Amino acid sequence: MTDLHWMTAGDAARAIAARELSPVELTKALLERIQQLDPQLNVFIRLDVEIAMAAARAAEQEIVAGRPRGPLHGVPVGIKDIIDVAGLPTTCHSKILIDNVAATDAVCVARLRGAGAIVLGKLSTHEFAIGGPSFDLPWPPARNPWNNAHHPGGSSSGSGSGVAAGLFPMALGSDTGGSVRNPASACGIVGLKPTYGLVSRRGVFPLSFTLDHVGPLTRTVTDNALMLEVIAGHDPLDPGSATAPAGDYQRALERGVRGLRIGFVRHFHQTDLPADPEVAAGLENVAGTLKSLGADVRDIQLPTLGEFAAVNRVILQSEAWAIHGPWLRERPGDYGKLARRRLLPGAFLGAGDYVQANRRRLEMIAAVDDGLREVDVLLCASAMDPPSRIEDAEETERTYPRQARTPFNVTGHPALAMMAGLSSRGLPLSVQFVGRNFAEATLFQVARAWEHAAGTDTRHPQIG
Amino acid sequence: MDKAMIELLARRAGLEKTLAEFPDDVATAAEQAERAVARMKGPADPRAEPWPPMKAGAGR
Repeated sequence: MTDLHWMTAGDAARAIAARELSPVELTKALLERIQQLDPQLNVFIRLDVEIAMAAARAAEQEIVAGRPRGPLHGVPVGIKDIIDVAGLPTTCHSKILIDNVAATDAVCVARLRGAGAIVLGKLSTHEFAIGGPSFDLPWPPARNPWNNAHHPGGSSSGSGSGVAAGLFPMALGSDTGGSVRNPASACGIVGLKPTYGLVSRRGVFPLSFTLDHVGPLTRTVTDNALMLEVIAGHDPLDPGSATAPAGDYQRALERGVRGLRIGFVRHFHQTDLPADPEVAAGLENVAGTLKSLGADVRDIQLPTLGEFAAVNRVILQSEAWAIHGPWLRERPGDYGKLARRRLLPGAFLGAGDYVQANRRRLEMIAAVDDGLREVDVLLCASAMDPPSRIEDAEETERTYPRQARTPFNVTGHPALAMMAGLSSRGLPLSVQFVGRNFAEATLFQVARAWEHAAGTDTRHPQIG
Repeated sequence: MDKAMIELLARRAGLEKTLAEFPDDVATAAEQAERAVARMKGPADPRAEPWPPMKAGAGR
């Protein structure tokens, strides 16, 4: 079997279950690729070869004994290093937590392991999922496999880069202002921020309690749905956990979009934050393709990106200050410069600011709900620019906030970002689909229709 | 926000050490916070509730 590194999680799981592929063979192939490519991508903070190989051998024995654990049996996964994996440090890519060894698995990790997945190690992030890309931290920032002079997006940088580079078929990330969808956009893969509360946050280091989501990053829409099926579900010990039942997210994948109503939020990229022409052309191409496949595509109006961003910022900075205040007072020098600057503003916000933001938030939730009564799914930009050059701090600072992801952290609606094509310089362009709460299956249906039409699942960076 | 106000608010937040070691970062943060609030519109309806609402649970 060739090109094991481009195998999807679903195909690998099926081949392992049929005893056509050994989990040991797959894990070994990926570890070899990691050894070869990670020095130029900086995906891993901690790679645990021995533990991964021991898990692969155990998975093989379980298959031979006829005891498969679940739908991801023997499939390797990478974990963003703000998510606990028992026995490994959760550093949050920061000197602050450099010795913080997790006692137990986060719920999402436990669910992956329960389904048979093999944890390869911990992946680089922006410091505390907010400060990056930074060169003043204990580990370097991850780089983009399409061109390693470019940023892979963040904050789930290692998750996006590693999936796109074929180091593992799936990874966990977290998303507070777009941190799953940004690397998915920059690396040309599929990243989902599920409905708020659908995936447990227990065991995930918080950035902003009411904006934090955990989500899957994969190379295909089908794998994303598969991974969500494994990690979704109520957790009585996560106070934000939803009680709505988790679904069968693969059921509508191949139904196509005929008859579906898709609301194109053009003002996000046309007037709110005018996008790079190639990004705008990519979005028009997605909309036109879905229309040609039978969808009813129409324009729709939401509050402006500026309004969403302001509310997101006040809530995020207030909640993050509540978490980081003690360290910022006592150990300010142990943060990198970017994290320190992005976490300190909360000290200057008042209780009234926070309450006002949350009052406005409720109105914004209602506005998006109203929009989603008119249509089944929203289509809009994710990033307004192709990925920036990672060592050009000015370009990164300019382009990083030019995005349309934070609205759906504010409102909690599920949102999926994926490749829309490639720029003339060979860098990924992106599109975002947004659905009604807990309607991830419909999101996957639309995303799969686009993927199938454009062949985005077979486009990989020329690396390795 | 002027320098004296920034220093006053930073001290009130317990950031004496941070202010001494990273005065530029503290000043930048104060400006960012001021900008964020200035850009945020208040709710249109004075009776608007914040999210999430207080909930008493299932009563069991």
